[in-house]
Amino acid sequence: MLAAVPALAAPPALDSLAPDFALKGIDGRNLRLSEFRGEPVVLHFWASWCGPCRESIAALDALGARTGTPVLGVNLDGNNERAAAVAGSLHIQSPTLVDARQSVARSYDVAKLPLTLLLDADGNVRAAWAGVPANLNELTPQLERLRQD
Amino acid sequence: MKSRPNPMPRLMKLVAVLAMLAAPLAAVPSENDAASLKTVDQDVQALKKQLIDLNRDLFKLEEELLYPASTQVAVFLSVDVGTFFALDSVTLKVDDKEVANYLYTDREVQALHRGGVQKLYLGNLKAGSHEIVAFFTGKGPHERDYRRGTTLKVDKAIGAKYVELRISDREASLQPEFVVRQWE
Repeated sequence: MLAAVPALAAPPALDSLAPDFALKGIDGRNLRLSEFRGEPVVLHFWASWCGPCRESIAALDALGARTGTPVLGVNLDGNNERAAAVAGSLHIQSPTLVDARQSVARSYDVAKLPLTLLLDADGNVRAAWAGVPANLNELTPQLERLRQD
Repeated sequence: MKSRPNPMPRLMKLVAVLAMLAAPLAAVPSENDAASLKTVDQDVQALKKQLIDLNRDLFKLEEELLYPASTQVAVFLSVDVGTFFALDSVTLKVDDKEVANYLYTDREVQALHRGGVQKLYLGNLKAGSHEIVAFFTGKGPHERDYRRGTTLKVDKAIGAKYVELRISDREASLQPEFVVRQWE
């Protein structure tokens, strides 16, 4: 399904506002990105068939638990059960949202997985990692700075 | 269409006030006594108010341009009590075309329960007969999955058309009720 995304597509530019969305989580709860305004957020797009994604979500989940930062995982499998199974096997505690219609993936122009975005308290993109797991040595200090702002 | 004041003169004034504010701040950094600080603060507050007014005017102007009264259709959603139905999502179709699909978070549902009214859709329709269909998804009585559709035939005349979708409780049957009302 991601093949439908144009080849030159790119995630939201740095310092631009991350598009708002609402998605259903694997626990049945609906979450809206804009409801997290006021604190930094890590947004992570992943799929079960993507090896680096699985490695990345576990690390980001641990970072979220350690720092109290919301980490929102957006699964692009389009299948709630599969997303829940993978999140369960990795003991993910942070919300896992299912983009069943790929509408959020389209609005973020997700062309490479994993895609990790660090958003500031106003919802602006402050850092992005596409096609590779987020570099925690870069992400952690940036996140700390945003939390102190 | 009602004539609305042109926002450009206000914008120019705003730029002039900003320039006036910036000049003394840059030139005389040492004269920061309480009186001048108070004046600056008052100017900043006045500026903020002008910005808010300007933003509101621009928003109204944009809405009037994009959705002229002659073709405007707005669909609102409200909840009256709603103890028999936990709202999850609403899908709205106009003339069999999906125009809105809204997923509600807990916070949004609480806001609706407190009396909030949501503008679910704003669009344009030609004069004539149209069909509006709303599908409500959520949990009904006894936590059962519940999906209900409601249809409204509207005759769009010249003038804005407002449609209200209201979720209420039917006490007699202990079931939710989905009411559609039209406002001219």
